[in-house]
Amino acid sequence: MHQYLFLIPALPLAGFLLLSLGGRHLSRKIIAWIGVGSVSAAAIFTIILGLQFLQAPPPEGSYTQTLWQWMSTENFSCAINLRVDALSLVFLFIITFVGALIHIYSSAFMRHDRDYARFFASMNLFVCAMLLLVLADNLVLMYLGWEGVGLCSYLLIGFWYETPANCHAANKAFYVTRIGDTAMAIGLFLLFKELGTLNIPEILQQAPQHFTAASPNITLIALLLLAGGMGKSAQLPLQTWLPDAMAGPSPVSALIHAATMVTAGVYLIARMHVVFQLSPVAMDVTAIVGALTLFIAGCSALVQTDIKRILAYSTISQIGYMFLALGVGAWSAAIFHFFTHAFFKALLFLAAGAIIESLHHEHDIFKMGGLRKKMPLVFWTFLAGAAALAALPLISAGFFSKDQILWYAWSAGNGSPMLWFVALAGAFITAFYTTRLMIVVFWGEMKTHIGEYPGRAMTIPLVILAILSVIAGFIEWPHNMVHLTLFSDLVQKVLPATMLQDDLPEEIVFQIIAAATALFGVYTGYVFYQGNKALIEEWKQSSALMQIRNFLFKGWAFDQLYDALFVRPFKFLTRINKSDLFDKLYNGIALVSRRLNQLFSISQNGSLRWYIVGVLIGIIFILTLQLML
Amino acid sequence: MICSIIVRNKGSFRHIAAFGLLILLIANILETYGKDFFHVNTMQLLQFDRFGFLFNSIALGATLIYVLLTGKEIEKSGKYAAEYFTLIFFVLCGIFILSAYDNLLMLFLGIEIMSIPLYILTGSDKRNLKSNEAALKYFLMGAFSTGLMLMGIALMYGGTGTFQLEVQRISVGMYKGVSFLEITGLLFLMVAMAFKVSAAPFHFWTPDVYDGAPAVFTSFMATIVKAAAFVAFIKLCDVRMTATLGAIDWKLLFALIIVFTLLIGNITAVFQQSVKRMLAYSSIAQAGFMLFALFNVNDVAKEGLLLYTAAYSLATIGIFAILVKMKDYTFEGYNGLAKTQPVLAATNTVFLLSLAGIPLTAGFFAKYYMLAAVVKTGSYIWLVVVGVLFAAVSVYYYFRVIQAMYFRNGNAATETITFSFKTGLIILAAIIILIGILPQVLLNWFYF
Repeated sequence: MHQYLFLIPALPLAGFLLLSLGGRHLSRKIIAWIGVGSVSAAAIFTIILGLQFLQAPPPEGSYTQTLWQWMSTENFSCAINLRVDALSLVFLFIITFVGALIHIYSSAFMRHDRDYARFFASMNLFVCAMLLLVLADNLVLMYLGWEGVGLCSYLLIGFWYETPANCHAANKAFYVTRIGDTAMAIGLFLLFKELGTLNIPEILQQAPQHFTAASPNITLIALLLLAGGMGKSAQLPLQTWLPDAMAGPSPVSALIHAATMVTAGVYLIARMHVVFQLSPVAMDVTAIVGALTLFIAGCSALVQTDIKRILAYSTISQIGYMFLALGVGAWSAAIFHFFTHAFFKALLFLAAGAIIESLHHEHDIFKMGGLRKKMPLVFWTFLAGAAALAALPLISAGFFSKDQILWYAWSAGNGSPMLWFVALAGAFITAFYTTRLMIVVFWGEMKTHIGEYPGRAMTIPLVILAILSVIAGFIEWPHNMVHLTLFSDLVQKVLPATMLQDDLPEEIVFQIIAAATALFGVYTGYVFYQGNKALIEEWKQSSALMQIRNFLFKGWAFDQLYDALFVRPFKFLTRINKSDLFDKLYNGIALVSRRLNQLFSISQNGSLRWYIVGVLIGIIFILTLQLML
Repeated sequence: MICSIIVRNKGSFRHIAAFGLLILLIANILETYGKDFFHVNTMQLLQFDRFGFLFNSIALGATLIYVLLTGKEIEKSGKYAAEYFTLIFFVLCGIFILSAYDNLLMLFLGIEIMSIPLYILTGSDKRNLKSNEAALKYFLMGAFSTGLMLMGIALMYGGTGTFQLEVQRISVGMYKGVSFLEITGLLFLMVAMAFKVSAAPFHFWTPDVYDGAPAVFTSFMATIVKAAAFVAFIKLCDVRMTATLGAIDWKLLFALIIVFTLLIGNITAVFQQSVKRMLAYSSIAQAGFMLFALFNVNDVAKEGLLLYTAAYSLATIGIFAILVKMKDYTFEGYNGLAKTQPVLAATNTVFLLSLAGIPLTAGFFAKYYMLAAVVKTGSYIWLVVVGVLFAAVSVYYYFRVIQAMYFRNGNAATETITFSFKTGLIILAAIIILIGILPQVLLNWFYF
């Protein structure tokens, strides 16, 4: 089966080519068939491949398929190789399976859109690039996928390009992630300079021998790679683009800005785990970045009013959990949270998209309300997703993955009580804002008339994702409850097992605290938004609280901060620089070339005498040179 | 050996020409792999080696594509369509001699067989004054360079006593048996060859001739013919110049010529108003790049030259094929082509990107190999820097065309474009991208 591995990225690529080249001439039905079919076929291939992989794991832990040699010179060669091991298999499954569900959903969601073909072409290209990213066996090819998903993200955020705000959001996403990408590229150059290879297995093998642990070189490389991951995964301080990225259509938010692309940073760090393990500093930075991000983004999610922005901040916060887990060395816990998060966050975005469409593109949650009775199916599926996000104990997938991270945040080799406490506070906030979202949207009275109800192509993916959001956690139980650890058994074929500290409190204590925190968060949310509504009104009167609220609403005013720190000084510098030295330099170059051009034009005057003289001068020059040398 | 087959195609039209080329191509490829058809004793005049065969294949393939794409235009360019095809075959005959010569006399013969039909083709548009002027200029300048070449060969004969390319040397004297006469002769020969490949300062004829000749024939001259001159040149360098390295600093000489060629070609191309004339200057700039292969002849350089020939010829043939369909050859004439003829604009973009050396097109690897050949020498790294800078300059004028096609408003007028023409362009663009993604396909074949 693995000899057909190339088909998995090739099918969406073929879909992209068909749709982008011939999209104008195809009917909507055929466009949908091509767009959805290519990704679904890739999903089927992935599942077959995955089953084979699980049944008969390859002896060396991975399948590799060499497609061709792209470039080969004396000291650098780059092959187009695809490689599947347990880690990429998890990502492969999420990308194709969740991707296929989202494509099915989009075929109905986008049905009225003018640029139906362009939408599916971009989505297919995205899936192809993302698959390349996780299948690449060398960092060059991975970087190709990395930039490819960035490009598609840009194209899809700005999909409705007629609104200037959307284009602005697309540009912002592109610029901000570019900072990370540049850092990552420098990291790759350094890696190549040190090790002379960009092949991932070779790097992982050679790095421990080449670098002494904690040497400045490896720390620098790890931090640069981390910066790349932070840009793509919207972690502090490069998180500002993701909330704005919600300008894209909802399926795009579900696929790119929740389930797959934004977790590319998690993949990168997990893939290069040997490099990170060699540098304790980079590990600590990763953990701290994750912890801070999850807290800051969670706080911002508390006060948002746009349903998609709430989910966006919540995504940043959940990826913060993954970074935290990576940073403390809980590799498989991070990947497990990615796995469950992909289901429930995609579900939440798709359900939110269904609501928004039914309510005539209304994004404000305070204009929704009372949808529980009117849209029961969306309500129940949304509830399943929200339960997972809030990590309700035992009945949601999110609990199992988040509980694991919370436990390791304290107990793992790099963990500390402080990290645990921040993560716990984050868990409380998450449960709180999730409850707020649920109550405001689904309880109370109706405020907007419902237009069109979502059709079956939209509800079936919702139901499937809802079921997975509930049961996906059951494949990995905490050690002290049921002895079933399918997921970590699989992933730990690639990633190292998590080291624990000595003399820790009992794990069950942590679980009870985590569960209680989540439930307490839900209860608090209930009190504020259903039980005692007067309290909120009372708080709205206080100007100090409103200021805090506005501060959080603006995402801790990071945009304003960057505006003041970078954008405005830059604009200022450019303004005073308008007609200065640098310009002169370039004008000078232009002037010189213009003069040279004139000179050469004179020589090219069309008269043969001159030409012959020119040739003679050349000959005389060369002969003189010969005599002199 | 191969010429005898060619002559049979005399007096045929486009389809027969294409068919003949196809047969030649197949015969040539078979011969590359050691299937001889008949043996002719060439008396140490010609020496067929793998490099020559590979080049012949590329030249034949490129000519085949050229005839298929622009065959109709060739027929239209004058009254005597059959003669034009015949002349092209004569040129090819000269090219095959050049790729296989082992004797300086054969070099001379090859150059002449190749050049004389070109003088006629340049002037084929009889009623056009510009075309006539170009032909005359080309002929006079060509005659001048022929004189230089004969002088060089004569001097070399005086120095070594033989016309053979390879000279048995007896190590006497300070120059290891290299006499002053031979060096001077070589220099004259070099000037003559530099003239043929339009290296500065012997390039003056190029813009006038390329601009004056009918665009279809410019396309042929700028690609296949120029590449053949390079192959002859590299053979000369490989044997003679390497042998005489101790006597004269060829590297410095070539470095100077390269820099001068790149400078003149690029700077002049930047400010052109006509796409055709821009292409003429850009062909000088591209010649500057190909000269990198001569700078230090090694296997990388030879492979690189073949790759460059293929990449450059394919892209240029495509650009010229589109150019001849345009009603207006200026940059303004291309304004808004993307709206009126999206396929033409898209494929033209691929060709231009390849010429500029953007990755994922064939041109990238071509330039890369050229520069790698110089890097291998260890010294003259500054020359590589200059090369890269001028490659960046070239992006400017190539992208001007793209800009005109996509971002300017206008109504680019073209002649009627047939479906088969479009298909041909798309296949050509696909080949260029394929080489860019899968260079190994071509390169594995090149190893010798």
